[in-house]
Amino acid sequence: MMNTEIKEVKSARAGDSYYKIKHSSGLNIYVYPKQGYRSAYAIIGAKYGSINNCFSMDGGEKITVPDGIAHYLEHKLFESAEGDAFTRYAETGASANAYTSFEKTCYLFSCTDKFDESFEILLDFVQDPYFTEQTVAKEQGIIGQEIRMYDDSPDWRVLFNMLGGMYHNHPVKIDIAGTVDSIAEITAEKLYECYNTFYNPNNMALCVTGNVTVEQVLKTCDRMIKPAEPHTVENIFEDEPYEIVKPYVEQSFPVAMPLFNLGFKERADAPLREAELAATEILLSALASPISALYRELMDNNLINSSFGYELFEGPGYCAVIFGGESRAPEQAAEVIKRYITNIKSDGIAEDDFAVAKKAVYGDIISSLNSVSSISNIIADYHFNGNELFTYIDAVANAGYQDVQNRLQQMLDVNNCTLSVVKNGGEE
Amino acid sequence: MNNTNRKRLADGVMFSAVRDSRFKTMKISANIIVPLSADSASANALLCGVLSRSTGAYPDFTALSRKLSSLYGAELNVSVRQAGDNQVLTLSASGLDDRYTLDGESVAEELSRLLCGVIFEPNLHGEAFTDEDVEQERRQLLDLIDSEFNDKRIYANGKLIENMCAGETYGIKRYGTAEKIKEATSQSLYGTWQTLLRTASFEILYIGDSDPGKAAEVFRAAFDGFERSPRIAQTEIIRTAGEVKHIVEEMNVSQSKLVMGFRAGAALPEKEIYSSMLMCAVLGGTAHSKLFCNVREKQSLCYYCASRYDKYKGIMVIDSGVEGENIEKLEAGVLKEIDDMKNGNITDFELNATKMAVINAYHTSNDTVAGIESWYSSQLFDGCFKTIEQMSEIINSITKEQLVAAAERLSLDTVFVLKNK
Repeated sequence: MMNTEIKEVKSARAGDSYYKIKHSSGLNIYVYPKQGYRSAYAIIGAKYGSINNCFSMDGGEKITVPDGIAHYLEHKLFESAEGDAFTRYAETGASANAYTSFEKTCYLFSCTDKFDESFEILLDFVQDPYFTEQTVAKEQGIIGQEIRMYDDSPDWRVLFNMLGGMYHNHPVKIDIAGTVDSIAEITAEKLYECYNTFYNPNNMALCVTGNVTVEQVLKTCDRMIKPAEPHTVENIFEDEPYEIVKPYVEQSFPVAMPLFNLGFKERADAPLREAELAATEILLSALASPISALYRELMDNNLINSSFGYELFEGPGYCAVIFGGESRAPEQAAEVIKRYITNIKSDGIAEDDFAVAKKAVYGDIISSLNSVSSISNIIADYHFNGNELFTYIDAVANAGYQDVQNRLQQMLDVNNCTLSVVKNGGEE
Repeated sequence: MNNTNRKRLADGVMFSAVRDSRFKTMKISANIIVPLSADSASANALLCGVLSRSTGAYPDFTALSRKLSSLYGAELNVSVRQAGDNQVLTLSASGLDDRYTLDGESVAEELSRLLCGVIFEPNLHGEAFTDEDVEQERRQLLDLIDSEFNDKRIYANGKLIENMCAGETYGIKRYGTAEKIKEATSQSLYGTWQTLLRTASFEILYIGDSDPGKAAEVFRAAFDGFERSPRIAQTEIIRTAGEVKHIVEEMNVSQSKLVMGFRAGAALPEKEIYSSMLMCAVLGGTAHSKLFCNVREKQSLCYYCASRYDKYKGIMVIDSGVEGENIEKLEAGVLKEIDDMKNGNITDFELNATKMAVINAYHTSNDTVAGIESWYSSQLFDGCFKTIEQMSEIINSITKEQLVAAAERLSLDTVFVLKNK
C-alpha cells in the first residue's frame, strides 16, 4: 500500500485553493474548502459510462455487455441487503442523487448538517454492491419508464439522431440508458462483472467542496476506503473513421417547434488540453454567441430563436462541436452557419470579437466557482479528462489572438458535419 | 440571511440588499408585480422582452450583447411567472464581482445602471418602441409558447391547470395568448410601459459584495416624478373541489402522463400553508417520500411521481409518466397514499426525515446567489421576509396531527391524462 500524498493547488486569479490527494487506497481525492459556506457537496465517480460496453481486464478475454448497463448499475448500487441508501440519507437530512453520462458514473449528496454521517453512507454503499435476480428484475419497470420519458424528449432524440449520423462505430451514439430490449438482458452476474472491473479506487475520483476540511475528509476515507490493487482495464473501441456516416437525419415527432443539431465531427485522437480548451471556448463564443455577426444574421432572418446555443462535445474517442436549437427552417440555418464558417476561415476572427469573447469566457469560468455543486462537478470532469481547473483559468486569461486563429484552422470542417432535425409528423 | 437591508424608494417600490462577500458574482433584479389579466398579460410579457433587447445607450441587440460580454459575460435575463392571481415580471442583471475582473473594472455599478436603463431609458422612437425589437421579441414569445408543447411533461401540467382553473384568473397563462401577442404594436407597448411604471409594484433585490447604496440611489432617482398608484390582486381561493373532472387527450407519444390537481384548502396568508407544504413533501417531495417508496420503488410503475404545493393558489399537483396500461393502477396507488395520510398513517421517521430535508434545502439555498434570490422572491407576497431560522422553527413545530389535518383538507379536482395511442 502506498502513502497518502497531499498537494495544495492555488489560484490567485480565482482567490481559491484546493487539495489534490492521492490516497493510500489508490483513490483520487479533491477537497475544496469554501469559507463561510454552511453546505458541503460530495461526489464520487468511476471512470465508467455508457461508452464502456466492451472491455477486457488484466489482459483477459474481451467482454461485451448490454447497452445501458452502466446506468442500470448506478440505479442498483443504491440498494444493499439492509435497504436502500435514500432511506439511510433520510436520517441525516442530506439530499442525494446520482447520474450516468457517456464516460462516467457519479454519486453525490449535499448537506448542511451531519456531513460525516452522510459521507460515510456515500462511501459505504458505493463500495457495497448487492445485486440479486429479484432486485434486478424490479428495476426493469422503473428504468423502462425513464427510457420512455427520453424517447418523448425531442432535445434528446435530436442529439442521438445526430450522433448516429456522425459515428460509424463509436458507442457514444448509443442511448445512455440503453433500450427496453437491451436492459432486459442485464443480470446480477453481469452487474457484478462491470462493478468489479470499473469500481476500483484507482479508476475513481472523489471531490468534496464547501464546509469541510482535508483532515475531516481523510479521516473518514482512511477508515472507509477498501484498498485495492490497481488492475489494467482495456476499453475496446472499434476504429472510427474521420468521416461522418451521413449529412442529414430527420425524425417526425409531435412537436410545435422543430429542432436541429448541426454537429461538426472533430478529430479525437487525444483529449484537448487546457490551452486548446480555452482557445476553443473563446473561438466558439466569438463565432456563435449573441455578440457575433453569425448570431445576428440567423436572428434577423428568423432562422433561430433565443434557444440557440453551441457546445464542445468531447470524451474518450469522440469530439464534436454542436450548434443547435429550435428553428422553423433548420436546413437554411445550417447553410448559413456553414457559409459563415467557410468565410471566417478565410477572413479570420476580428480582433475585437476575440477580446470580447475572451472576457466572456473568463467571466463564465470564474462565476462557476460560486456553487459547491458546480465546483465538485467541474473538478470531477477535469480529473477524468486529465486536466486541471486552475490551469484552465490561467489558460483563458493568457489566451492570445493567434491561438484562437490556429484553433479555427484545425477544426469545423464544413464537409464533415451532420444535420439532425426533429419536426412535426403532421399528425398533430 | 438576517442581513437584508430593506427600504422604500417610492410608493410601492422596495429595495432590499443582501451584502455577501462569499460569491464571485453579484446580481440585481427588479421584480415587477401586476394583477394577472387576460387583457394585459401578453403585452406585459412582450414588453419585458423588448426592454431587454436594447436601450437608449445600446440601441440594438448586438450592441447590448457586446456590452454584456465585455463585462465578463454579464447576463441580462427576463422571466415571467405567476404568483396566484398576479403576474411577476423579473428583469435581472448579473455578472462578475469587481474583485475578480482582469483589469479592475467595476462591473457591479455598471450593471446596476444598465438594469435601470433597461427599465427607464429604452430605445424609443418618439412614443413607440422600434418595430425591429417588437417583431423579434414577438417571434421569440410565440416560439416560447409553442416550445412548451415540445416537452410533454410541461404540456400535461399546463393542460391540468387550464382545465382545473378554467374561468378563474389563475387559469390565464403567464404569457397570455398568441392572439394577444399578435395584437400588440410598437405604439401600444409604449402605453403598456407607461402603465407598468405607474401601477406595478417593484421589488428590487441586490445581492453582492459591493455597496448597494449607489444602485438604490440610481433607482430612487429614476422613480422621481412618477405619480404612482400600485395595486396587487387578491388571489381567488377555491377551498374544496366539486365533482372530479377527468380529461383524456390522446397523442402519438411513447409514455403516457398522469397529472392530478387537488384543492389544498389552505393558501396565503393563512398559517396552515406550512403544514400543507410539509404534508406535500412527505407525500411526494423527496427520495424517501410515500410516492417514491411505494408507487416507484415497490410497484415499479414509474420513474418520477412528484407532488408540489402552490401556496399562492392553495392547490397541490401530482404528476408522473407511466405506461398507458398502468394509468389506473397509478392513480389508485396515489390516492391510496393520500388516504393513508388522512388515516393518520405517518411515521415519526417520515415526519422527522422530511423536516430535515426541507430545512437542509433552506440552508443549502443560502450558499448560492440564485438560492438567496429565490428565498426572497418566494416571500414577496408573504407580508414580511422570514429568515431561515424563523422558517426552520415553524417547520420543526409542525405535528403529525397537523399533517393529517392538511391531508384531510385535500380534495381531488381534476385529472388530466395524456395517453399514448
